[in-house]
Amino acid sequence: MAAWPHWLPLVVLAPLLGAVFTPVVSLRSRHVAPWWALAVMSATSVAALFLVLRVASEGPFSYLPGGWQPPYGIELRFDEFSAVISVICLIGWLAVLYSLRYTEWLREVPKQRIPYYYALLLLNLGGMIGFVVTGDLFNLFVFLEILSLSAYALVAFSGEHIAEMAAFKYLLMGAISSLLVLFSVGIIFGITGSLNMADVATRIGQLDSAAPAALALAMLAIGFMVKAAVFPVHIWLPDAHAIAPSPISAVLSGLVVKVGIIGLIRVYQIYYAAGVLDLHTLNQVLVWLGAISIVMGAFFAIFQDDIKLMLAYSTISNVGYIVMGLGLSTNFSVIGGSVHVFNHALIKATLFLAAGALIYRTGYRTLTDLRGIGRSMPLTCIAISIGAISIVGIPPTAGFLCKWYIALGAFEADQPFFGFALIFGALFIFIYYIRMVNAFYFQAPVHPEILEVAEAPLSMLAPTLLLASLCLIMGILGRIPLAFIEPAAARLLAPLGG
Amino acid sequence: MVPVAAVFLPLVGVVAGLVLGRISGRARAWGLGAICAATAALTIALIPGVLDGSVYEIYLLRLTPVIWIHLRVDAMGALFAATAALLWLLALVYSVGYMANEHRLGRYYAFFMLCLSWTLGVAYAGNLLTFLIFYELFSILTYPLVVHEETPEAMAAGTKYIIYILMGGSLVLLGVVFTFFLAGEQTLAAGGILNATMDRTSLLVIFWCFIVGFGVKAALVPMHGWVPDAHPAAPAPFSAVLSGVMVAAGSFGIMRVAFQVFGVELLAELGVMPVLAGIAAFTVVFAAILAVGQDNIKRRLAYSTISQMGYVALGVGLLGAEATIGALVHVTNHAFMKGTLFLCAGLLIKRAGIHNVSEIAGAAKRMPVTMAAFALATLGMIGTPPLSGFISKWYLGLGILDVDQPLYLAVLLGGALLAAIYLLPIVYAAYFKTPPTIAAEDTGEGAEAPASMLVPTVIASTLTLVLGLAATVPGFPYSLARMATEAFFR
Repeated sequence: MAAWPHWLPLVVLAPLLGAVFTPVVSLRSRHVAPWWALAVMSATSVAALFLVLRVASEGPFSYLPGGWQPPYGIELRFDEFSAVISVICLIGWLAVLYSLRYTEWLREVPKQRIPYYYALLLLNLGGMIGFVVTGDLFNLFVFLEILSLSAYALVAFSGEHIAEMAAFKYLLMGAISSLLVLFSVGIIFGITGSLNMADVATRIGQLDSAAPAALALAMLAIGFMVKAAVFPVHIWLPDAHAIAPSPISAVLSGLVVKVGIIGLIRVYQIYYAAGVLDLHTLNQVLVWLGAISIVMGAFFAIFQDDIKLMLAYSTISNVGYIVMGLGLSTNFSVIGGSVHVFNHALIKATLFLAAGALIYRTGYRTLTDLRGIGRSMPLTCIAISIGAISIVGIPPTAGFLCKWYIALGAFEADQPFFGFALIFGALFIFIYYIRMVNAFYFQAPVHPEILEVAEAPLSMLAPTLLLASLCLIMGILGRIPLAFIEPAAARLLAPLGG
Repeated sequence: MVPVAAVFLPLVGVVAGLVLGRISGRARAWGLGAICAATAALTIALIPGVLDGSVYEIYLLRLTPVIWIHLRVDAMGALFAATAALLWLLALVYSVGYMANEHRLGRYYAFFMLCLSWTLGVAYAGNLLTFLIFYELFSILTYPLVVHEETPEAMAAGTKYIIYILMGGSLVLLGVVFTFFLAGEQTLAAGGILNATMDRTSLLVIFWCFIVGFGVKAALVPMHGWVPDAHPAAPAPFSAVLSGVMVAAGSFGIMRVAFQVFGVELLAELGVMPVLAGIAAFTVVFAAILAVGQDNIKRRLAYSTISQMGYVALGVGLLGAEATIGALVHVTNHAFMKGTLFLCAGLLIKRAGIHNVSEIAGAAKRMPVTMAAFALATLGMIGTPPLSGFISKWYLGLGILDVDQPLYLAVLLGGALLAAIYLLPIVYAAYFKTPPTIAAEDTGEGAEAPASMLVPTVIASTLTLVLGLAATVPGFPYSLARMATEAFFR
């Protein structure tokens, strides 16, 4: 089954077509929409599973629609980094399931609009899947727009009064970044006459002047850094992620910011292979911005009382790890950063879904208001505690591997200072999770009625607990993702001669 | 498989405690008691084999493509594990009575058992990453026990605890990463992982990362700040383990690093050990002086712990065989002596409402057994022969003369003298001072605790005597410490 070549187009088309047909199938009854979305995501997940199995056994492979050879035809390319679709499918599926009850509860949202929510969510997931499997620069931009536009709309969906503002801020920053990406794709097409990534890499290598290529590189890097919310272009993230409906926050924080990271990896793949530009400066910038993001994100998180805002800041911090890993550009650090793309998605989705369950049951969203909730919603709070321990990187949870590998990478790159920054940045993060644990378990409730609320409904609890257990499993079985991503990291860095 | 069983049996206890707790407190007490006793039996059962020279090695799980979670039982680990498991058993039995009317017992027992499991993991860790994993887990999962009372003081102490411990843990992680980077994946065994061909600056950085990191837990001055706050805030049975085993785990880490990561020759060449010895000596005296001024009994005992752990670090720092034996033996001896003292302090609080030294006058009349146990442990702490405290100090003293640094003898004796100054007045007041009349009317005569709390206290204090009298019996701490040390100083 895994060898069937058409899984690759299917995995992109299924959610996109599914999204288009969502309003149609729910014409009769809006209650069809979530089940339709669930069915679409199930089909997509099956395709994703086969693709990941195939890349694990035979390495990267391509799909050429219509049999046109690149660089003339478009290409879908599936490598180990594309395996991120596995977490996209998993978290997407769980987010749909979780939304079943959650969307009904959003008071500001007219009920007949709910099918559009699922359509947007599918569109967003499809856009991300397309983005990570495409081998073509222009398609990269198209998918980036699909996922970004749907993300702006989803942020605004909750209808709370600052939601539109947050979405607008997100849109503004996102539009700038998309423009930068589009311009640099244009420049690259102008100087090389090609859009296929592998082909572009060889052609840039043969150019007489590297200056336009360098300009394109800078614009691509900045564009993707905005999407990834690296300091100082992170300012759109906290509000957008905190205000969005919780399952959407999980998707945005866990997955959508990773699109920026995958974009950066694609840029590196092209420019390392081209070999004309010395990427040392870019790397150094990324490492520094990563370090600042780690410390700054954690620092701001300490002062938040709103639980989702706190999680949003911690995303900035964690993206900092990944960016630092890429910038250090050693074998260990790239492996660590790449694996954290997967693991952080799982951890942050756990945290946002659990936080959403707390808000759903109590209506409160600040630590002060939520005091004592650990007694009435024990399972959700265990999930959130596991997520907290993982995100801080306490061994042997999923977050530890990234810290271990990136710190090793810092020594390997002969920049031990960054290992230091990484490990002590994580300390900052722990301080605010301690505040959370204190509020949930050890402090007397401010609102006595909080002790009476029921545990989250099963459709919300099950996804949360599944993800929480994955936070532990992915740590204990960490060798599997590490070994999986190793050849990809080696291939990425091979042109550096190391 | 015995080490694996010992590490994971308490985890079964976590679940069993939660399930049995739903049935009744009695069922939980018996269930956890049985599991804890079985765990202690397993750790002791490993000792004869270790003494015969066999090393149990078990590869549990491959965590990354090159690193295994790896358990390895050597003499040092076996000794520490047996000490921990025994003290835990005593504290658990004591908890049943002590905690009976406290809140949130399910949580208390779950984390109590969890921490036993991780501590045994620390003892049996076969490589640095395994050590780190268990060390971090038990450092952090101790937090709910420290703040168990949920009072503002407990919360403040907990925050202080976690910040100190995380700082330390981060430094240890840095050291582990750096060591792995320089030397790759290697088993912890005598002789060391690092060697003199490596960059000297790197070696020094690693060394101080480890010493400062573990020093936080081992309460070396000036990293000791959390100890005096955490101990009075925590429930008494947990204070006993905290002082007896958890602080000692930091010292244990220092020993693992000194002898099994660096190795004696490399340390001698680096010339860093005199600095460690200096810090340790300062810790001994400084903390003991501070202890004298404390009125709160548990706080005074906490300072005493800092001082006593200074002895252990001093023993390591001297880099001599006899001194190392003294340090290793003192970890065990101190665990039971300090355990006794904290358990007694708990009884004084629970049964007579006595928190402070100034209130203790005449307590021996009302609580004769408790105060007898306290007195015995006090004498042991001062180093009176033939009690266990004497044995460790004897070897430390021999070690000091062995390496020809008689100045430290003054520290050793000064520490003992100060121990007498901060502990004996408690005993004296309890036996020979007449209580103010109001207090006597308040609590009445015969405040002695029920057997469930008294028995573990008495056993712990008897161990002070037994470990002293039978010090050289094979299987007792001395034999294991000798064996471990002989491997380090070949």
